[in-house]
Amino acid sequence: MDAIRTKELHKHFSGVAAIDGLSVAFEQGKVTGVVGPNGSGKTTLVNVLSGMLPPTAGVMVIGGEREMKGLRASDTAYHGITRTFQEVRLFEQMTVLDNILVVLTERSVWGSLFERHNAGHMKKVETVLTRVGLWEKRSQLAHNLSYGQRKLLEIARVLAMTHSDHIGQDASIFLFDEPFAGLFPEMIKVIVSVIKELKEAGKTVILIEHNMNLIRELCDHLIVMDSGKLLAEGKPDHVLAKREVIEAYLGE
Amino acid sequence: MGIIPQIIANSIIAGAIYALIALGFNLIYRTTKFFNLAHGALTVVGGYAMFFLYKELGWNVYASAVLAIVFAGFVGYILDKAIFRQLRLRKASQMVFLVASLGLLTVIQAIIAILFTSQFQTLANNSTESRVYTIAGGIITQTQAIILICGIVVLALLTLMLKKTMFGRAVNAVSDDEEVSKMVGIHTDKIIGWVFFIGSAIAGLSGILVGFDTGLEPTMGMHLLLKGVIAAIIGGVGTMHGAFAGAFLLGFAENFGVWQFSGEWKDAIAFIILIIFLLFRPQGIFKK
Amino acid sequence: MPYLIHIAILFFIYAILGVGLNLIVGYAGLLSVTHAAFYGIGAYATAVALAHYGLGFFASVILGIVITAIVSLLAGMVLSKFKDDYYALASFGFNVIAFSIFLNWESVTKGPLGIPGIDRPSLFGFTFSANETFLALAVVLFGAVYALAHFIANSSFGRVLKAIREDEKALEVFGYKVAYFKLAIFVIGAAMASIAGSLFASYITYIDPSSFSLNESIFILAIVIMGGLGSLRGTLAGALFLILLPEILRFVGLPTDIAAQMRQIIYGAILVLLMLYRPKGFIGEYEVK
Repeated sequence: MDAIRTKELHKHFSGVAAIDGLSVAFEQGKVTGVVGPNGSGKTTLVNVLSGMLPPTAGVMVIGGEREMKGLRASDTAYHGITRTFQEVRLFEQMTVLDNILVVLTERSVWGSLFERHNAGHMKKVETVLTRVGLWEKRSQLAHNLSYGQRKLLEIARVLAMTHSDHIGQDASIFLFDEPFAGLFPEMIKVIVSVIKELKEAGKTVILIEHNMNLIRELCDHLIVMDSGKLLAEGKPDHVLAKREVIEAYLGE
Repeated sequence: MGIIPQIIANSIIAGAIYALIALGFNLIYRTTKFFNLAHGALTVVGGYAMFFLYKELGWNVYASAVLAIVFAGFVGYILDKAIFRQLRLRKASQMVFLVASLGLLTVIQAIIAILFTSQFQTLANNSTESRVYTIAGGIITQTQAIILICGIVVLALLTLMLKKTMFGRAVNAVSDDEEVSKMVGIHTDKIIGWVFFIGSAIAGLSGILVGFDTGLEPTMGMHLLLKGVIAAIIGGVGTMHGAFAGAFLLGFAENFGVWQFSGEWKDAIAFIILIIFLLFRPQGIFKK
Repeated sequence: MPYLIHIAILFFIYAILGVGLNLIVGYAGLLSVTHAAFYGIGAYATAVALAHYGLGFFASVILGIVITAIVSLLAGMVLSKFKDDYYALASFGFNVIAFSIFLNWESVTKGPLGIPGIDRPSLFGFTFSANETFLALAVVLFGAVYALAHFIANSSFGRVLKAIREDEKALEVFGYKVAYFKLAIFVIGAAMASIAGSLFASYITYIDPSSFSLNESIFILAIVIMGGLGSLRGTLAGALFLILLPEILRFVGLPTDIAAQMRQIIYGAILVLLMLYRPKGFIGEYEVK
């Protein structure tokens, strides 16, 4: 079954097509890699799938539900979608702890007014922060973290979305936009194992990545984009050997 | 219906004043991308510099005007160098610029109030007010005619400068992208300094004209500034002809509104128009 | 001593105003410069209710809060369409429009003449007519407002507000309808201003529109920024400083009108210097952004 499918998806920026009639499917429980030269529309795709950009035309189908002409950012979590950002977006002048707590607590105005974080919340925070090795840093402000720690905190934040009691469903579709970029090997190792665990737990992962070794290691399926279009797709080893894929990269 | 021509005349005069302020404000906004609320203070500086030279020292009117305008430009230049440049270097957010410029406006208006009292002052002598023209049933004074001419001349000069001169091209480049301009060798700080000088000088000129037309008050800066900003936004922020058109639209709306309701509603009308524009046509009249 | 009590009452009124605005500006990051409009609504509600309808003070406080809640809800809905400097500018607009209404709706507000002879509050036959007792009332109302603000700031809601200030787009992706949170805090902060307005009207016993102009909003904003965004204690320090400032200036021998201008110069200059060197304010944790 497909976790997300797009049909004839278009996204134009003042006339220029960043996504140009893209029809792709992301299978449930699998890790699907998305590669392509810079400017091929990968990040735009993630932004459309997570509701941060409205599509110009086309539809998307989530979990076999009805076709949707895009969805609001605030609704994506209720479809089980969560994401990280290529340029890390944390709540900078808040502590590491608060960065995680905020995705665990009440979503309603009224409910949140009368809620204070409790031992249950803290237990979950401890779990996800320990997973990425940031529990010791919990009382630091996010903007005082190193580059790598910031990327890890984003990973912890999406992990916390699998423990959120207030969304009605745990996150099941994870969009990772270049999570490994610029990281040291030991941090890469942590994120690789996180993605493998998600897959084992039956979650769907969409992974934008440039490092072909990581793609081969992690992905069940690979999609190659070029100029907003689907260039090739299939098994990673297979796709990466195709001549047009190599040319698209060399032509960059 | 005999009153209509006069309302039209009043609208045009108000529009010309707003246009002058909006032009200077817009020039600075398009280059630096922040709402310079201190721009209002420069109208006060220009107006009171004129008051000091022309009325208190008794200088010749032209010499006083030139010096007062240059002085306002100079104060604007100093504000940029002393404060806004530092904030630019720190890559401060728009909010920081807004609060800092609000602080400057407060300080300058209060300094002027201490130096010249908060009393209402006028620059006009009886002789300059004697001449009036009647055009199609509407009466305008000589001062008001000069205001209108100044508005048109400043628009023409600014447009020419931006389109035809090397300096203008550099200003446009900085407006498009400050970082890239720096990389291609434009001295962006120097350009922005001059933009502040020119924009502030225009503000000074408007302060002088307001002083002749209706009179001076230290607190007029905030008031004139807001009208200028509204004009700039409804015209399409960043475009010179937009600021001009927005100013006249605002002038007409206010004066016809005042005619329909009462004078006290003038400012409310201006802001209601602003909010309507922001809601339904945030790009203004002219921007695509 | 009576003079000190007067200053103390003013301090508590401005502390209420500052605390309410800090929730809006400091926590949620909405640069609202229209707080004096809600302050005015509260003041006029009390003045009109007491002078014309014989309602009690406490009923008039409730009336003011209800009217303010409705008005601020509408204003907040319009403002929610804007960002950053456009938000600030549109909020200027609401203050100017509210001021014009205070000035022109003469059948209710008496226009520029203002409303004199507003009664001091009374409760169960006891009238807070002496300044000492009025101070006690001001302290109690301030305490209630401060406790509420503190409660909000420490709830999950408070954390959501901070996250909105930091990156509302990113927060939406995690399942928050941020527009509702922004509206809610705008209304709560405005209602607090309304309470301050009621206190002010019945303390001074005379109000006219000049107390609720755009300049007053800028003054309240200065209190908040000076003390520090997101710091309730900072706001108290800011209010104390700005309320005492003109008294100190008078004490050192400046004539009253010069002292008033000097206050403007000092707080304007402090805003500029803070933006240059310490955007966190004196005590605050968060930079203006």
